[in-house]
Amino acid sequence: MADLIWLIPAFPAIGFLINGLLGIRFPKTLTAWVACLSVIASFAVSATIFVQFLQMAPESRVFEKTVFDWIVSGDFKTTIGFRIDALSIIMCLIVSGVGSLIHIYSVGYMHDDPGFRRYFCYLNLFVFMMLTLVTGDNVLLMFVGWEGVGLCSYLLIGFWYEKDSAANAGKKAFIVNRIGDFGFLLGLFTLVGYLGSQGIWTLKFSELQANVHLIGPGLATIITLLFFVGATGKSAQIPLYVWLPDAMEGPTPVSSLIHAATMVTAGVYMIARLNFLYVLAPTTLLVVTIVGLATAFFAATIGTAQYDIKRVLAYSTVSQLGYMFVGVGAGAYAAGIFHLMTHAFFKGLLFLAAGSVMHAMSGELDMRKMGGLRKKTPVTYWTTFIACLAIAGVPGFSGFFSKDEILWMAFSKYDSIWFWFIGVITAGMTAFYMFRMFFSTFHGECRADEEIKHHIHESPRIMTVPLMILAVLSLIGGYVGVPALLGGSNHIEKWLEPVFGHHAAPATAHAGGFNIISTAFASSGGAEGAGHAIEMQLMIGAVIIGLLGIFIAWLFYVKNPNLPKKFVEKFHGLFTLVHNKYFIDELYGFIFVRGLFKLGRFCKDFFDEMIIDGIVNGIASLLAGVGGIIRKVQTGMVQGYAFAVILGAIVVIGYLISRIL
Amino acid sequence: MGSHDLISIVPFIIIAFTAVLVMLMTALEQGRAGTFIITACGYGFSLVSICLIVPKVQPAQQIVPLLIIDGYSLFFIGLIIAASLALAALSYDYLKMHTARFGEYYVLFLTATLGAMVLAASSHFASFFLGLEILSLSLYVLVAYLYTTPRHLEAGIKYLVLSSVSTAFLLLGMALIYDRSGTMEFSGLIMRMPGLAPDLALAAGTVMVVAGIGFKLALVPFHMWAPDVYEGAPVPVAAFIATASKGAVFTVLTKFFTGGVIAEGGPLFIMFSVIAAATMFMGNFLALFQNNVKRLLAYSSIAQFGYLLVAFLSVRGMHITPVAFYLAAYFVMTIGAFGIVTLMADRDSDGDHLYAYAGLFFARPYLTAAFALMLLALAGMPLTMGLIGKLYIFAAGVASGLWFLVIVLAINSVIGLFYYIRVISIMFIRPEAGEIKLSGQRPSRTGCFLIAVLTIILVWLGIYPAPLVSIIQKLMGP
Repeated sequence: MADLIWLIPAFPAIGFLINGLLGIRFPKTLTAWVACLSVIASFAVSATIFVQFLQMAPESRVFEKTVFDWIVSGDFKTTIGFRIDALSIIMCLIVSGVGSLIHIYSVGYMHDDPGFRRYFCYLNLFVFMMLTLVTGDNVLLMFVGWEGVGLCSYLLIGFWYEKDSAANAGKKAFIVNRIGDFGFLLGLFTLVGYLGSQGIWTLKFSELQANVHLIGPGLATIITLLFFVGATGKSAQIPLYVWLPDAMEGPTPVSSLIHAATMVTAGVYMIARLNFLYVLAPTTLLVVTIVGLATAFFAATIGTAQYDIKRVLAYSTVSQLGYMFVGVGAGAYAAGIFHLMTHAFFKGLLFLAAGSVMHAMSGELDMRKMGGLRKKTPVTYWTTFIACLAIAGVPGFSGFFSKDEILWMAFSKYDSIWFWFIGVITAGMTAFYMFRMFFSTFHGECRADEEIKHHIHESPRIMTVPLMILAVLSLIGGYVGVPALLGGSNHIEKWLEPVFGHHAAPATAHAGGFNIISTAFASSGGAEGAGHAIEMQLMIGAVIIGLLGIFIAWLFYVKNPNLPKKFVEKFHGLFTLVHNKYFIDELYGFIFVRGLFKLGRFCKDFFDEMIIDGIVNGIASLLAGVGGIIRKVQTGMVQGYAFAVILGAIVVIGYLISRIL
Repeated sequence: MGSHDLISIVPFIIIAFTAVLVMLMTALEQGRAGTFIITACGYGFSLVSICLIVPKVQPAQQIVPLLIIDGYSLFFIGLIIAASLALAALSYDYLKMHTARFGEYYVLFLTATLGAMVLAASSHFASFFLGLEILSLSLYVLVAYLYTTPRHLEAGIKYLVLSSVSTAFLLLGMALIYDRSGTMEFSGLIMRMPGLAPDLALAAGTVMVVAGIGFKLALVPFHMWAPDVYEGAPVPVAAFIATASKGAVFTVLTKFFTGGVIAEGGPLFIMFSVIAAATMFMGNFLALFQNNVKRLLAYSSIAQFGYLLVAFLSVRGMHITPVAFYLAAYFVMTIGAFGIVTLMADRDSDGDHLYAYAGLFFARPYLTAAFALMLLALAGMPLTMGLIGKLYIFAAGVASGLWFLVIVLAINSVIGLFYYIRVISIMFIRPEAGEIKLSGQRPSRTGCFLIAVLTIILVWLGIYPAPLVSIIQKLMGP
């Protein structure tokens, strides 16, 4: 099997090539079959490897396969090679598994779109690039995937490129990502350059890890921070998060696959993959945690004041990604990856459900014009309900386990109640805005136009079945990571131990910093018991705040639908501020875009028109002058050409002689 | 000359024999297809024989003082034959459109190939000159083969006259060098030249040889014939001049001037550096606003040889991989590009007007994609052999510390991008009236097959260059 791991990314690539090169005359069904089967085949290979891993000793769960030498230049060599270990197999299963479901869903969703084939080509290409990103055995191949998914994201956001807003959103996503990629590249160069100066020319993860001791803490901080800049771009963190909400211009299944479940988590994966570097840089880890936490909180506040159903989900994604960074920043890589997985399930599901709602509402996105869809779209209703419970962290659902794990890790690592507190407040807001969306979409009176109302219907089976599968996963996905506190054994953390080692062990000695509540619970005695007691308190606190969020949403949008209006009137300024996303886009527009345009105009006026044009026109008139002579020769005067040869030779001989004598 | 020697020159014998055979067939008025098939078989057998004799000639087989058959020459001979085979195939449909006379064309094509092969294997001024003349004489006629059109005739005459001038230079240069060194063998020259006292005769001789070679390679300032001749010659012949002919001469240059003759920082080195920089700049600048595709490719090929000179100057101790790889890549890209121009040609035009390509994408998407790939490869874009080749040159240049040339190369890569992409963008412009006017009839099946093969090679070796690199390194050492 180890020899076949390259098949995982290869299958979608084949699908892309078949549809892209030969598919012009394919009927839609054939295109759909090719696209879906290629991703399902990847999933099958991933699943087979996963089953094999289960039968192996934890330490030996690594498959590496070098397909060929890619760039060989002196001592420097990099290969096209793949590495499957405990971490990448999880990513493969998520990408190909959720990817398969979204491919199938898309067959229904995109059925009447004229760009059907183009859509599936891009989608296959995306899965190929994403799988390359997670299975590549060296940083450069990862970067190929990193850029590749960026390209596909750009293509798919601007899929309906006739719309200006879609084309602009695509550009915005691409340009903002370039800023991040610049950081990634600088990090890559610094890393390779430094190790190269130590005589180790390598980009392979395994060899980097073996030689990581050569890197001092200062340099490690610089490198990891640069890589993190890349992550803030791809994974939409402060300050580069602004592209993700706009990315909702793409088809909804794309938002689900790329801008919720997979691509945007690439930054989290990258940090987890390079954990051996990040461990050396505690400063970076603190920065990652703070940025993650700030993003989580900030985006959640914006999410509470949006009316566009996909924008709510987009800000929610930004916010949840923030949680993942809190996790990896706290050194709890397993917790970050765990949340990445559960988030892929429930957020993927939420987007697909939103797509199903749009399908029912004839493309309407504004929640103010929805309501009362419960009866007419029962499958969408129930699956959304499960997903909302999961993201709100209601006990028993997947989001509960993973979010709680992260909050606990952040608390115990930094021994700071504030980190935990902000995280929990964010969780409360999350619960609020998710149920705000849920209630105003599915409950109450339908506020749509009569005509739209007339058309409301459940989506076809091909779209609802993926919803149901994801709902089941959102329900049970958390049980792979039940903490010891609740009688579980945290399988996922054990599974990832060969990759991350033990450095994420929760600190149990921090009981002192949180005395007030803990005394009541610390009856079992001992450090272990005290740690557990605090964990229990925190968990209960989080659950209460989450339920409170749901309750407020219920109060506002079901019990007393006039309350929000009054609230908005009373806090008009605040609402306007939040609803307009704190005017960050305008701020960036003012500072960066306008500034750059000004710089550009200056360059155009000064450099281009004065200097460049001057040179060009100067050259042109010079050439025109010389050209007159040349043209005479070119009209058949072979002597001219011969003269040039002789003249050239004489000049060179003259030069040589002058050097010799 | 023993039987072992004979075996080593079997590829030459086959080509020469095929030429005679095709000549006899023409005399007997055999059909067009027959002529082509015999020619193709000759090339094919010759290629196979190279593969067979490779193990027998390691490390090197000197055949009288004139020829040396070793890994180096066999690689380039193989490349030349493969290129000739491809161009012979492309010529078939092109000729069918223009003339009924096939036999002579293929005879001359075969002798031109033979000349190029002799060049690649030459180890002596005599064989160098013989090879060059066999090649050039065939090309004079080939360029003017469609002599009923004044354009072709003019190109042929121009090539003849200018080439004769350069040959005169070359001969005089050889004589002067012989006078000073007392030998005409390359190996002897390479040993003796660095020790010779520099004087006027030796300097003049060297420069004259360089001028002779520089003419054939269209290096600045000996480049002016190239666009005129390319424009006037039949497209496959232009492609032959750009690839097989130039490639063969370049192997001589590399053989003659490496191995210590060019001391770093010495006058010869500076001379070549200046020529390389001037060639890159001139080629690219002149191509910028060119509206004739054949002229554009001519200038592009001038610039490409500037790049090759950088690789050539960074050759240290016969570390030849960058030169060999880039030359192979250049063959693929150039034959591909010219091949597509051939397919675009019709009875009235040679498919060389740039605006005849406007909107091509909407009529022939695959052909356009192939052309775009070839041009992007020439510009050095990723996922093609062009990038790997350029990377090798950059790496070699940096490793040898040729910073000036590396920077010039980088600047020129950017300039080059402009006109390659200009052609591509024109192909993707949607035509105004919705109707696409196309020159040329349906491209021939042979031609399309060939382009497909070249495109696959281009991308395949661009992603996975290891097979070619390992062949090169096996034949010529690292």
